[in-house]
Amino acid sequence: MLKLIDKVGRGAGKVVGILYQAGRDSIDQVITNILPFMAFVSFIIGLILKSGVGTVIANTLVPLSSNLVGLLVLSFIVTLPFLSPLLGPGAVIGQIIGTLVGVEIGRGTVPVSMALPAMFAVNGQCGCDFVPVGLAMSEAEEETIEYGVPAVLYSRTISGPIAVLLAWVFSIGLTYQ
Amino acid sequence: MATLASWAEAFAAIFKEGGNVFTGIVGGILPGLIVLMTAINALVSIIGIERVEELGRKAGGTSPLLWPVRYFFYPFIAGFILTNPITHMMGKFLPERYKAAWVENSFRAMHYGLGLFPHMNPGEIFTWAGISSGVESLGYSTAELAVRYLLCGAVLMTISGIITEKMYFWLWARGHNGQQPTN
Repeated sequence: MLKLIDKVGRGAGKVVGILYQAGRDSIDQVITNILPFMAFVSFIIGLILKSGVGTVIANTLVPLSSNLVGLLVLSFIVTLPFLSPLLGPGAVIGQIIGTLVGVEIGRGTVPVSMALPAMFAVNGQCGCDFVPVGLAMSEAEEETIEYGVPAVLYSRTISGPIAVLLAWVFSIGLTYQ
Repeated sequence: MATLASWAEAFAAIFKEGGNVFTGIVGGILPGLIVLMTAINALVSIIGIERVEELGRKAGGTSPLLWPVRYFFYPFIAGFILTNPITHMMGKFLPERYKAAWVENSFRAMHYGLGLFPHMNPGEIFTWAGISSGVESLGYSTAELAVRYLLCGAVLMTISGIITEKMYFWLWARGHNGQQPTN
């Protein structure tokens, strides 16, 4: 009987410990990663909505993101092998352009049916700055890195527009309610 | 004087609007996200990473049936359990010749699940939330959009994995008198 109580007690203690640590990890994440980015994004959105910047951005971004051809062009530009490593770091550019397109969708200037293709178009460059590091993290040999980096960058220029087309196909039948 | 006052008002309006947006996204996204992240963090520490390694060793074969496994399931499951950036280390269980295509997709895996599992890469959540919050502000539900984002991502990851793999083999052959990579 005492053994049973002991076992249950230990088990409960272990579960509580895991859950507590999990909670601590997620709060850490929120404070170090999520909240700073939210503050930054809020400032950018405030600036866009309440100053003249919004019209300038809208004039350049809306024609590109409001139709399939524009999104294909956008995805091609961001995945060019010499641009994508510059646009990649921290996914910051992708997140900002995404947020700007989101604001325009909210305003109604970009049709909501373009949401999914736009998500792929503005993020075609994801990770392109990080290819050598990623390969090194996977313990790749020097020669693998030498051929692997251009392989990823070149293939992005092909798969970028494919992603937008695919997302357009996947949007078929998506009804917003 | 009146002009100055109107400037000051316009200046303050930017930050007032920014503050409204901030309380909107903090109140709208954070509470659920924190609870979900806690639950999944706990689940992950119970599952452990040994099973991920096992999947990685199996995914390195030559059969074309392994394409979706190697370029979608493996990076996605690794991303679900290990999150960014530890996931990118899991390519070490694959043969050298597949590592370029693996890395390509371990990057992609960090974004396409964010609509459903934001714990995978919370620092880059706005790759999903930027556009989805625009959809949400129109009063629409984003659940179906999140599911389609992941499904479309799954197909795309398989395709882009194959493209990168072929591209790597082609570049390698050009540098080695037409020989294919062997290890």
